[in-house]
Amino acid sequence: MSGNTQYKDKIDFYLNSLDELGEVLINQEGSSGITKGVLRIILGTLMASKGSIITVKRTRCKILSSHGISAQQKNLSLNANQKKALTSFKNSNINQKEIKEIFDPKSSDDLPVHFADLKAAIMVPLFHKDNLLGIVTLGKKFDGSTYQSLDKKILEIICNHLTDSLYNQELIGNIKDKRMELRLKVLELQTLFDISLSLNSVLDIKELSTEVLIRSVSTLNASSGFILETQKNSPMLSVLSSFNMNEDLVKSAIFSKSSIPFNLIWKDKKSIIISDEESNPFLKKTGYKECIVSPIIGNRNISGCIVLGDKESRDGVIPFEKNDIDILEALSSQAGIAMDNAKLFEEINAAKRFNESIMGSIATSVITINLLGEIDSVNKAGVGLLSKKTNEIVGEHYSYLFSKDQNLCKAIESAEIELESFAELNVPLMSKSKNTIVNFSVAPLTDQKGSHLGAVVAIEDITEQSKIKNTFKRYVSKSVVDQLLDDDQKLNLGGEERDVTVLFSDIRGFTAMSEKMKPKEVVSTLNSYFSEMIDIIFKYDGTLDKIVGDELMVVFGAPISRDDDAERAVQTAIGMVESLKKFNDKRVKKGKVPINAGIGINKGKVISGNIGSKDQMDYTVIGDTVNLGARLCSFAGPLKIIVSKSVKDEIGDNYKTRKLEPIKVKGKRKPVEIFKVLT
Amino acid sequence: MSDFQVSVKEVDDVVVIATDGYLNNIGGEKISDICDKHMEKGVNKFLINLEKTSVVNSIGVSILIEIIEKLQDTKGKLAYCKLAPIVEKTFNIMGLTKYSTIYKDEEAGLSDLSA
Repeated sequence: MSGNTQYKDKIDFYLNSLDELGEVLINQEGSSGITKGVLRIILGTLMASKGSIITVKRTRCKILSSHGISAQQKNLSLNANQKKALTSFKNSNINQKEIKEIFDPKSSDDLPVHFADLKAAIMVPLFHKDNLLGIVTLGKKFDGSTYQSLDKKILEIICNHLTDSLYNQELIGNIKDKRMELRLKVLELQTLFDISLSLNSVLDIKELSTEVLIRSVSTLNASSGFILETQKNSPMLSVLSSFNMNEDLVKSAIFSKSSIPFNLIWKDKKSIIISDEESNPFLKKTGYKECIVSPIIGNRNISGCIVLGDKESRDGVIPFEKNDIDILEALSSQAGIAMDNAKLFEEINAAKRFNESIMGSIATSVITINLLGEIDSVNKAGVGLLSKKTNEIVGEHYSYLFSKDQNLCKAIESAEIELESFAELNVPLMSKSKNTIVNFSVAPLTDQKGSHLGAVVAIEDITEQSKIKNTFKRYVSKSVVDQLLDDDQKLNLGGEERDVTVLFSDIRGFTAMSEKMKPKEVVSTLNSYFSEMIDIIFKYDGTLDKIVGDELMVVFGAPISRDDDAERAVQTAIGMVESLKKFNDKRVKKGKVPINAGIGINKGKVISGNIGSKDQMDYTVIGDTVNLGARLCSFAGPLKIIVSKSVKDEIGDNYKTRKLEPIKVKGKRKPVEIFKVLT
Repeated sequence: MSDFQVSVKEVDDVVVIATDGYLNNIGGEKISDICDKHMEKGVNKFLINLEKTSVVNSIGVSILIEIIEKLQDTKGKLAYCKLAPIVEKTFNIMGLTKYSTIYKDEEAGLSDLSA
């Protein structure tokens, strides 16, 4: 084969390689794919077994593709002198001698050793203008021959294409980086937008703070963080929420407004970055290398702080930047307003629950009505009174709800028009039943500024009291009924031993007298007589125990005890005698026979309670005291009052008395001392 | 700091990685290491169950992008399931979903990836 033919074949071979190079550069994506393909072409074209393509970024080098070498990829770097030396060989060959000069293996700097590992016989620095993008290294040829000028020329041509391609890849990489930066900005904006939405919708402080915290941590690439909140009447700050923190550290750490860095935050109301561990115990406390602390400001006051620690990167913790402060302050200022709102909401809810609790616990029905006349709210008592479900009441118009109670409707209407309160007592609530007796009052409802909001209706169900009153008023005075209703502790209707004063009165000769009268006259005489007597009894708060025939039994001290029971019994007796004298005067004037009653009073222990069968049960007192009282009555002459020693001892000398001869009483061994009250 | 936990299982030719915790630099590296080890063995389908990961940062995302780039060389696939809305939104914004798929749950992911 002639030399020309060999040369032509070699040229064809190189042209084929360049053609293949074109395909690789067009079809391969990414630096890794391109350099792999290009290295394969270089090694094949130049008949070399070892080689590498290295990219250079500042001082750091990275082997993108290699063949036949075992160089450590890590720690491969260039120093400034080496870079400077390489500029003399822009995209041209550097032979072994020159390589050794540039990367002296004997240098104290061990970095060139790694380049020595590449076992390069020839090296091409890939420069785009003055920017070193990479280096191609090539070992010896298979056959041990040296590289010819044609080999070097073709290597330079390939390397020039490779340089353009790497430059393009760098541009693409930059575009990718920019795109990533843009996406991060979008993410930041989206986070701010999401947070603002959450802040408007989330009203639970804990949930809200957690949301703000995790968004802040992730947006700023912090490794963890926590939110501190102020406490009422305390300089201490409590942890409201934490993310990715050591729980023990969070629970045990003590943070105070007066300590670093919070004293500065409270003073300047600005975010700060803390990175000087030596002078900052806060970093030691939190375990952070660096942190950013931003005040949460709402309504001009600092309500807490957000703390983010250790900004992450692929190369470890990096410093927080000004941009991080801007983002965090944007987040924390929104959080401040939202947390204020949430706190306000919590306070309103607490006030509402407090009101509902009060309204629910009171026995009076309370119904609020809005300006449209619809029921806005009703308390538990109201629901019970109206025997309806809450949702059947709320929203209903009052005129429908109380359609059978025109007086109540009128009161509501008047309250709304005249803005004055109206009340009615002891009236039936027909909307419930005619037997339901209530007191109601209606007042206009106004806000703090006095604007009319509607009306509030208070309805007191007094049906039970009314029944009790109607029942008791036959036996006791109104004042006693009122006392019983005011304080039912005084009412003990079960059996109990107690001190009472009993008064008996009995009409002398009534049986004989009644035999001369018509039955109707007997009844009317007794009714007139009892009416007069009961007025006196009730005047002194006596309890009318029973009326048997013409006999009255009155108790003082049951169901309610008073210190002056005995004295009131004597006053009652004197009043009865005086009243009876006047009563008789009238009767005599009318030609009727006077009624002469005798009265006996005793004081002592009795058993009181509801006594009888389940069908017929009466509140009464029983015992020796009662029996002796009845006996004293039988000893009393007409219009005379006989009292026992126990009564005399109680009334002392307040009333004139005269001691009478003791009397013998059945069941008593000794004669009983008795006294006559002088009227 | 609280730990980022992962559990790994192989279902047919798919490696399922279930995460628990903040997917940040540490979390991302853990996932990357697992993927690298399996890729060395020739496995190139990965399904990451992010049910217990409610927060992710951009470093974590960039590591996932690197895994996707590595898998592209072997025509492999990276997919996710059980994403919290905030995580899914982050993945969308960061462009992850152009090169990887989100599935509702493991079952759906496995049935699609194994096919």
